[in-house]
Amino acid sequence: MADNKDKPFFVGYLTAPDGLRSFLIGIGIGLILLMAGVGLGIGATQDDPGNGAFRGDYGRQTVTGVMELTPYPVVRVTQGSEHVPEGHTLMLSAGGKQSLMSRVRDLDGQLVTVSGTILDRGELDMMQVRGGQNGISRAEGDAPEMDSEDLGRWRIAGEICDGKCLAGAMRPGTGIAHKACANLCLIGDIPPVFVSTQPVEGSEFLLVVGPDGTIFPKSAYDLVAAYISVEGKVVRHGDLLVFHLEPDTAELVQ
Amino acid sequence: MSVKYIPVQWNPNKWIYDGIMLAGVAAFLWVFIHVTPEILSHERPINSQVHNARAFGACAFLMLSIILAIGPLAKLDTRFMPLLYNRRHFGVMTAFVATAHAGYILNWYFAFSFVPKWDALILSNTNYGQLLGFPFEALGAFALVILLILAATSHDFWLKFLTAPVWKRLHYLIYLAYVSVVAHISLGILQDQQSLFLPVFFIVTAFLVALLHVWAYLAERKTGDPLASAEGDWMRVCQADEIDEGRARIALLPDGKRVAVFKHEGKLSAISNACAHQNGPLGEGRIIDCLVTCPWHGFQYRVTDGQSPAPFTEKIPTYNLRVQDGAVLVDPKANPPGTHVDPVEVA
Ligand code: HEM
Ligand code: FES
Repeated sequence: MADNKDKPFFVGYLTAPDGLRSFLIGIGIGLILLMAGVGLGIGATQDDPGNGAFRGDYGRQTVTGVMELTPYPVVRVTQGSEHVPEGHTLMLSAGGKQSLMSRVRDLDGQLVTVSGTILDRGELDMMQVRGGQNGISRAEGDAPEMDSEDLGRWRIAGEICDGKCLAGAMRPGTGIAHKACANLCLIGDIPPVFVSTQPVEGSEFLLVVGPDGTIFPKSAYDLVAAYISVEGKVVRHGDLLVFHLEPDTAELVQ
Repeated sequence: MSVKYIPVQWNPNKWIYDGIMLAGVAAFLWVFIHVTPEILSHERPINSQVHNARAFGACAFLMLSIILAIGPLAKLDTRFMPLLYNRRHFGVMTAFVATAHAGYILNWYFAFSFVPKWDALILSNTNYGQLLGFPFEALGAFALVILLILAATSHDFWLKFLTAPVWKRLHYLIYLAYVSVVAHISLGILQDQQSLFLPVFFIVTAFLVALLHVWAYLAERKTGDPLASAEGDWMRVCQADEIDEGRARIALLPDGKRVAVFKHEGKLSAISNACAHQNGPLGEGRIIDCLVTCPWHGFQYRVTDGQSPAPFTEKIPTYNLRVQDGAVLVDPKANPPGTHVDPVEVA
């Protein structure tokens, strides 16, 4: 190799020669400073994960309303609580990445009382319902008729997320780095939510269902977390829009 | 000096080396985990599991980049050689840090589901056909498996068991791991990133690692070991007076092996250039206390017979040589390892 004749020679088990020692001390200190500096740089420039959160500070919320299976269960609130107004359409989930589906199968159109913890992020909210009878039970009285309004077909651009992480179960709860996590929520039948770049009839967030009012279709999993534009029917359920997303019409937007 | 199967051979320099490395890792993680949350002005904090996962992941990437930079740096400037000396401990530490990264991710993003975590890691995203939303976790997992295999086989026992050439080839997998990590980051977090620090740092670092390798390769080609020229059945290495006392000249033989011709007490001896430990270039080493000393980890050999002094048992091949009209000629047929050859007077 190059002419290293006069360079000091290091043998691992002997002490380093003088000239080399100061070089190595410099490298050692430099390495520690470099590592601390990079840690600071990367750590202090992480993106804002948004302001979604579990609202433990609200305390437990209990509301009554009409259960609708979109097929994802939502409650059209008829009797609100401190933080859930009457007239609101509230999305529901169970603990973790599990849905409420098996517990509400027979309750479509019934008057129910649900109780749990609220997650919210701006306009978007969801209730994580408690386990067993304490979480969900039939309420006394007849369920009022609830109407929904067909808003026609739309093409909208934005991102499919899982509604729960987005609403604050995780920060960050959106994006490509979080995609596998979102998919796992959707596999567990957590309500998917479309985050639209332009508000649709005043809503930035839309609950997503399959084209025929089914659960989120398998073929749409590859669209999760990507920035897409996609078509489908939009139906208003109170203050919540439900987007019947048609995966075949999806296009990646760059 | 060489190794027996001793669990780990410790000496003060290894302690200092490991101490500096651990201090660097600790500084990185401490600053990232405990200092930066105070600096970030988010309305609500990033979940600590994700914050920690990022700290350990970024630390592992930086460590891997440093490890890979050491090789070419040592080729370009021998003062970096000591950093090679205990690089294996650095590698093992990187495997630990990367495992912690994967652990935080697995116990957060892939937890809370009725699907078991490992199944979830493999099954929840199968979008292999598309770059946007590609299951970048699989690339990280692949890299982690390589890092763990290399860490597990890092000990000298495996080096002997697999033999140096096979072991070295196995450990070249580190490059595959690095490429995989680069893809893991490019297809993952970089797709979301708004702030610029991470992308710029990442691209510059990966580019520097590649650049150093190309640079060292070119430099080595330019100043590479000369091909010995034929003189009948013997090969001419250099002029005898070109060799300094206690040093060697290296030449490439027709069979692709390298010979190192040393001058010791005014006489010449030729041995194989490849150290029995990890194929280190003996001819770039020196004679210390009458023994050829490898520049990489300091294994030693007698120059006359290529044997390590007792109690060690390493042996390398020797070569017959003669001096004719001031030129050093070597018989390209190597003697069996450990064969004594009388040193030749320069005349
Ligand atoms: C089973 C193995 C692995 C899994 C499941 C995994 C998963 C992930 C995930 C999900 C993220 C995105 C985190 C976020 O939301 O910000 C990430 C980021 C990252 N990973 Fe991995 N990873 C693995 C192995 C590795 C390895 C071996 C390395 C490096 C040696 C590595 C380096 C990184 C880096 C540098 C980041 C970006 C960190 C940042 O945002 O600062 N990962 N990984
Ligand atoms: S001492 Fe390790 S290669 Fe020579």
